[in-house]
Amino acid sequence: MLFAIGDYVAGALIGVATSLAARLIVWPGMDMVIAMLIGMGVGLIVHVVIGFSLAPILGMFETMVPGSLTGMYGGMLFAMRDSMAAGSRTLLAAGAVGAVFGIVVTAAVKLYNRALRGPVLETGK
Amino acid sequence: MTEHATDFETQKKWDNASRTFDIVSFAEDKRLGPDKRRMLSKVQGKILHVAAGTGNDFKFLPPGKDVISIDISPKMLERARPKAAAYDGHIELLQADVRQLDDPDDTFDTVATVFTFCSVPTPIAGLAELHRVLKPGGQILMFEHVRSTIGPLAVMLDLMTPLTRKIGPELNRDTVGNVQKACFRLRRVENVYLDVVKIIEAIR
Repeated sequence: MLFAIGDYVAGALIGVATSLAARLIVWPGMDMVIAMLIGMGVGLIVHVVIGFSLAPILGMFETMVPGSLTGMYGGMLFAMRDSMAAGSRTLLAAGAVGAVFGIVVTAAVKLYNRALRGPVLETGK
Repeated sequence: MTEHATDFETQKKWDNASRTFDIVSFAEDKRLGPDKRRMLSKVQGKILHVAAGTGNDFKFLPPGKDVISIDISPKMLERARPKAAAYDGHIELLQADVRQLDDPDDTFDTVATVFTFCSVPTPIAGLAELHRVLKPGGQILMFEHVRSTIGPLAVMLDLMTPLTRKIGPELNRDTVGNVQKACFRLRRVENVYLDVVKIIEAIR
């Protein structure tokens, strides 16, 4: 139970940090493709730093897998948003959206894990 | 004993990792421990455990077994020694590279690995060596993380591997495929976490 709560907190943290980092680096009017590439790079760095820091208390895979999706794909989305100035005008709003994104990705990964977990090959020999 | 060329680069990497290994893997042990224990409950006969690390897997072995546990890193083995001594059975620790074992052909009934073949530089060579030392009909039990088949996740793992390779494992190995390339017959494959962490059971 504590691990599950920790997973969501980690997801939210990575989402917030990525969203704020993208907001600080990408400005409205920046070429969207460049912005998305920057967002992905920023998300990579953010999730590696936070993920490695939290791995000892939450586990490497459970932190890094949803964290990588939140950081890198989220980073692209946040940067796209910020290059178009399309919503989340304040830093608080940007952070909140990042948190929601991180939590949703974490939940989706957990759901997917439930579907995938179990034997995929059994020859019975 | 045969003289082998030592892979100093790999040895140094894991010597360095040994300092923080227990801290980094603390939660992972708690979360994946029950699955590791379930897999390791199947060990039988003469047992080779590959990549002792700091001995964190010893507590998941069933009691009363006679195990040879190898690792390429002397620093890891140093830290594994007290855990081997605490095991309710016998664990002999040896420094060895899984790709160059001294054991004769057809020696072991079971080979067990936990997060090992993400780190062996030439994994098929290592698996082929394990195939050699296993008796015909012997089993290999592997708890490994592999490249995902889920597109977006696979891309992430590919992108991160150049970073992780420098300090530890590769994240995008096709270990199930490698097991087959080393001429093992798959008996059972199970997803433990997504399709990234797997239990792979195969027969020589």
